[in-house]
Amino acid sequence: MASSRGEVPALQLDGLGFSYAAAEVAPSPEPVICSASLTVPQGAFVLLVGDTGSGKTTLMRLCKPEIAPEGSMRGTVRVLGRDVHELDPMASARSVGYVFQSPDNQIVCDSVCHELAFGLENLGVPQDQMRRRIAETCYFFGIEPWFHARCAELSGGQRQLLALASALVMRPRLLLLDEPTSMLDPVAEKSFLSLLFRVNRELGVTVVVATHAPQAMVDYATTAFRMEGGAPRQVELGSLRGGHGLLGRIGDDGLAEPSGELRVSLGDAWYRYERDGRWVLRSADLSLRAGEVRALVGGNGSGKSTLLMAVAGIARLQRGRLSNALSRSQAYLPQSPKALLSRETVEAELMEWSASGYGRDEALALASALGLASALGRHPYDLSGGQQQLLAFAKVLLTRPRLLLLDEPTKGLDDAARVLVATRVRDAARSGCAVLVATHDVAFARVVATSCSLLFDGQVSLTQDARSFFDESWVWGA
Amino acid sequence: MGRRSGQTAFEGVHLVVPAVYFVGTIGLGIFVLQPVYVLLSVVGALLFGGCCRGWRAVGRSLAWQAPLVMLVCLVNPLFSRSGATTLAWLGPLPLKLEPLAFGACMGGMLVSMLQWVSNATCVLTQDRVMGMAGRRLPVVGTMVSMAVQLLPQLLRRHALVASALDACTASGGGGQPSASGRARLGSYVRSSTMLMSWAMEDSLERSDAMRARGWGATSARSHYRTELLRSRDVLYASALAAMVGANVVLAIVAVGEWRFYPQLPTLEPWWGYAPYAVLMALPSVLALAERLRWNRLG
Repeated sequence: MASSRGEVPALQLDGLGFSYAAAEVAPSPEPVICSASLTVPQGAFVLLVGDTGSGKTTLMRLCKPEIAPEGSMRGTVRVLGRDVHELDPMASARSVGYVFQSPDNQIVCDSVCHELAFGLENLGVPQDQMRRRIAETCYFFGIEPWFHARCAELSGGQRQLLALASALVMRPRLLLLDEPTSMLDPVAEKSFLSLLFRVNRELGVTVVVATHAPQAMVDYATTAFRMEGGAPRQVELGSLRGGHGLLGRIGDDGLAEPSGELRVSLGDAWYRYERDGRWVLRSADLSLRAGEVRALVGGNGSGKSTLLMAVAGIARLQRGRLSNALSRSQAYLPQSPKALLSRETVEAELMEWSASGYGRDEALALASALGLASALGRHPYDLSGGQQQLLAFAKVLLTRPRLLLLDEPTKGLDDAARVLVATRVRDAARSGCAVLVATHDVAFARVVATSCSLLFDGQVSLTQDARSFFDESWVWGA
Repeated sequence: MGRRSGQTAFEGVHLVVPAVYFVGTIGLGIFVLQPVYVLLSVVGALLFGGCCRGWRAVGRSLAWQAPLVMLVCLVNPLFSRSGATTLAWLGPLPLKLEPLAFGACMGGMLVSMLQWVSNATCVLTQDRVMGMAGRRLPVVGTMVSMAVQLLPQLLRRHALVASALDACTASGGGGQPSASGRARLGSYVRSSTMLMSWAMEDSLERSDAMRARGWGATSARSHYRTELLRSRDVLYASALAAMVGANVVLAIVAVGEWRFYPQLPTLEPWWGYAPYAVLMALPSVLALAERLRWNRLG
């Protein structure tokens, strides 16, 4: 019903082209977007799919002049019939909402109520209007129970919901979201999407979502476009539904039942971060054999990362015991890959730990296998989030650890990159490395894991071989 | 838990009320160096500290403040030769009563101020204060609130980086404690540079998020009021201000009558101490009354 409202399309691109401003490394840059044309009717729910680096973000940002990248643009972008270059920041903030990828960095204020008010204050909305809009938005999203919370105390899912609510409190007609769920666990993702869907259908807001993992959104969408060669081409929604994407093509061959020696064991482990805090691990048990790939699954806050840190020896147990025969040859990839990146160039980064016994050729070979060959001279911080993840992964892999501890290694990666990581993890396991991987990515876990442990309430509720675990699972079986 | 019950003393009122109270209490405490006033202030501060921060927290803070008082108390007589009453001889040095009393008063004042400031930060939480400041000074308010969030984040990330590097033992000595001093210094410099660029990158993204929501779009910014100033709050605040004012007058009298040197006068009972005692005990009494009421009801 909403789609019939108004004749003017919510968003219209006409022969849009864009290339980034020339820089030292690229004096005459390739166009990122060329002759892109697209019409989004009001009330639509549009998916913009494509791999990392295909220009999705650039395209979206060009629709919002305050955050458009530096460079040269051709063609026109019309929002609700008006050329975006005619929109002043005020009009643009009023009519176009934007939700970014990272739940952390887009939060400006330190408490939920101030965060919601921030955009309204910027527009000079009078007090009564402001109170009304904030109250209604909180009611719609069910934010009331944590309205007075500090943003730092919220979970990732709550923060992203807050980002969505803070954009919608300004009552935009068009909402652009850039990979809004790539940092969320599957359950948080689904609740976020169902609210987004209600925003679209009940409030009539036109929604455009850029994503490289459209599977969970297909049911909500009305149209989908794929970025190819710098321009969006319409695709069948059904074609995006397909199971596990590229990961599905990695066969079930290879990984045998782990029969190696028992290398790591954790017994009756208790851990909490503060003296009066809640126990994050409460009597957790875990054992790991050489050549085994163990996936740790469980909701947010179930203790996956903490268990990983306990095995790594970073989180010292308050009770219980850890015996880790591989503690001198382990490698740990934390959730934020930036924690491992401290050099000036990608190449220096890869060579940093060469004292452990690998050469430049080996490092370069791995870099090109992971698609980093063209980025060797760049600063790690100039890479995309996905590339940083791959770089940090390459870095720990090069040290040929006997125990590999991975925390969400596929977070924010597109299909192709997930396949690269999965292949490498399987190779490592074949050579006898014990792997413990905390992940929300079921498709990835299905492909790499030999066994699975379900974490709940700080305990390992169940450990099973991966195939039966997923076949019998109600939630993770999909 | 302690925190919640402590705020009941000032919970239902506008920020202005506790602000007047703490400005008055702390202002009086700093300037009135008279034993009875200092004692009342210390007792009041500790009592309210127990109510709002919990006895355990007060005990922990006293654990380092008490030695400080002892130090101030004992060091003063060593340097000061004034005073008429010699208590003992420490070798060639006379230990006199007056400088000892002066030191004890200074120490007491120091503790009471530290305690009152902790109590104030417990009631005047940063977001309440920023909520007020944001109205007049939006840029400063936003900046301060971001800076305040930045420091804990830097510390958290530093710990994360250090532990992640330590955990990568397969790297062949990269982040291990056995590394030489120079290598450690090098890695320290690198990791702080990295933390800085990490924070910078976050801030770029955050500034985009701010601009996307109309930051700087107009100079006529409005302000979302979380607390309303009602006539009752004005009444309370004025009553408190009047109490503080009366105590200022009385304190001037009391300080005029008091001297440390050359000899301590005798302290005598005086009705003028009573208003100060009431002022110091007020929040604790309110908090305790609130607690009693709930215990009875619950």
